[in-house]
Amino acid sequence: MKRIKPLGWIIGATMLLIVIATLSLLWGQYPITLETLIGYLQFKVLGGVGNDTYTLLDNIILQIRLPRVMLAILIGASLATSGAAFQAMFVNPLVSPGILGVLAGASFGAALGMLISDHWFVVQALAFTFGFVAVGVAVLIGTMVTNSRSTVMLVLGGVISSALFTSILSIIKYLADPYSTLPAIVYWLMGSLTMADLSGVILISVPMLLSIAGMIMLGKYFDILSLGDEEAKALGVNVPLVRFGAILLATLASSLSVVMAGIIGWIGLIIPHIIRMAIGPSHRLLMPLSAIVGGAFLLLADTISRLAFSVEVPIGILTSLIGIPIFIIVLKNARAAWN
Amino acid sequence: MELTPIITVNDLHFSYPKRPVLEGIDFTLQRGEVVSLLGPNGCGKSTLIRLILKLIHAARGEIWLHNKTLHRYSHREIASHIAYIPQYHNVPFNYSVLEMVIMGRISKLGLFASPSENDRIIAIKSLERVGISDLATRPFGQLSGGQKQMVLLARALTQGVDTFIMDEPVSGLDYGNQIRLLELIVSLSAQGYTFLKTTHYPDHALMVSSRVVVMNDGKIIADGNPSDVITAPMIREVYGINTDLITHNSNTWCIPTFSKGAL
Repeated sequence: MKRIKPLGWIIGATMLLIVIATLSLLWGQYPITLETLIGYLQFKVLGGVGNDTYTLLDNIILQIRLPRVMLAILIGASLATSGAAFQAMFVNPLVSPGILGVLAGASFGAALGMLISDHWFVVQALAFTFGFVAVGVAVLIGTMVTNSRSTVMLVLGGVISSALFTSILSIIKYLADPYSTLPAIVYWLMGSLTMADLSGVILISVPMLLSIAGMIMLGKYFDILSLGDEEAKALGVNVPLVRFGAILLATLASSLSVVMAGIIGWIGLIIPHIIRMAIGPSHRLLMPLSAIVGGAFLLLADTISRLAFSVEVPIGILTSLIGIPIFIIVLKNARAAWN
Repeated sequence: MELTPIITVNDLHFSYPKRPVLEGIDFTLQRGEVVSLLGPNGCGKSTLIRLILKLIHAARGEIWLHNKTLHRYSHREIASHIAYIPQYHNVPFNYSVLEMVIMGRISKLGLFASPSENDRIIAIKSLERVGISDLATRPFGQLSGGQKQMVLLARALTQGVDTFIMDEPVSGLDYGNQIRLLELIVSLSAQGYTFLKTTHYPDHALMVSSRVVVMNDGKIIADGNPSDVITAPMIREVYGINTDLITHNSNTWCIPTFSKGAL
């Protein structure tokens, strides 16, 4: 078999993403044909005589479907690259973006926001803030216990921090009004992309894309880091800086994804495994492909959740249900990439 | 040949909590030398190497690399002077041999750059130089210990430096691979490379070194010409065993003699 070149993989995956995105724009309660979509895009880009259909499409595509498609891609890409970065940094196949407590912290922050305020902005700001606070707590515990920066202690710090924020999340749930706030918290934690609006998505896309690009750039250092800290340093890598950068970028991307869509599990865990199975372990290719395929996967899952069921299933539930069997298959075949 | 110091160590002290490891080490590595650091387990050889690579920091004393003290170098700058060849080991991800070797170029790459075609060619040439270009596409994890050690040596060659530090390079290799690796060190030394390596084998130190430094209990107890330094009394003092030194075809060999009653 002829080996597919790295650029070939990237182009192939991007084309897959474009196809899924196009289908996702077309399909829905109001189906749109490809001709209509192309005509509409021409009208939008080149101008011309509008009609009633285009006014309707302004609403359906620009206000509803496009923001949701963009958000799904951004969040899928964020979670998959964060997961790949953490798996590389902690040299552990079971690591996902939540390993340092970011998801538990952000969940707590969002729940607290719903408890104390009616403003959606407060919820988002607290989710974002506590995502970082939880990771800070993990890093503090990890460095405090041994006074060194061993990754095992960092993971243990993450476990403790996650447990802490999960416990106080339970307190919030216990205190929350069982008829209004509690269901809101529970539904929000299941993950959903329904909150997407165009201006919000565009705003959030800047820091998300920057952190994804940053993690992709660090890919070549992840290869070296996986050899162990001392060897990486001897090869000339600034290990603390790369590690700090990766934690910062992954926490930023994951926190923002929670802010926009609640908890969406499994993507950060399985996508890097699938990519590694296909192309091998080199992170220079693994990171960008994880981003593209992660985006495509979440978009596909969201499109299915919109179309397949009469009631929209929370996306977090669906990614778990799809993710679990895939993970089992992947682990069975993933030995080629992990020693 | 004029002596040019590459690494100079002055009055170096290092200790782990409640356990001194190095006590007042003075040591110089000159350009073109092959220096073997000899000594029993726990004598501080590996600690000295880790200090020289700035992987740990000394409590007292200083290390000079060329004309600057080590703390004025970043790891990236050190990597542009010294290549470190660790003992072969397992890596968690199954990188190919070529991918492993290309990693030696990381200190030459800018933040945004990927390894170029030129880096690939350098890596392939390094594999050729250590005689394992046929392994290029093999997964590193599936190689034998000897092959892995050769890959790590090839990776050091891609770093484009002329000073190599090796931590017990023959450890875990079979007899044939041990000798092949030593041959390679001799051949690279003849091409102008400088080596500092730790070893457990007085024989190997005698075979390939231009100088032998013997350490015991965190101190250097002998430093000089291999045949002057490696003597039966020294081996008795350091390792607590009796040996005969035999010279054959101008090579000296160390033959252990079993204590009475063992045979």
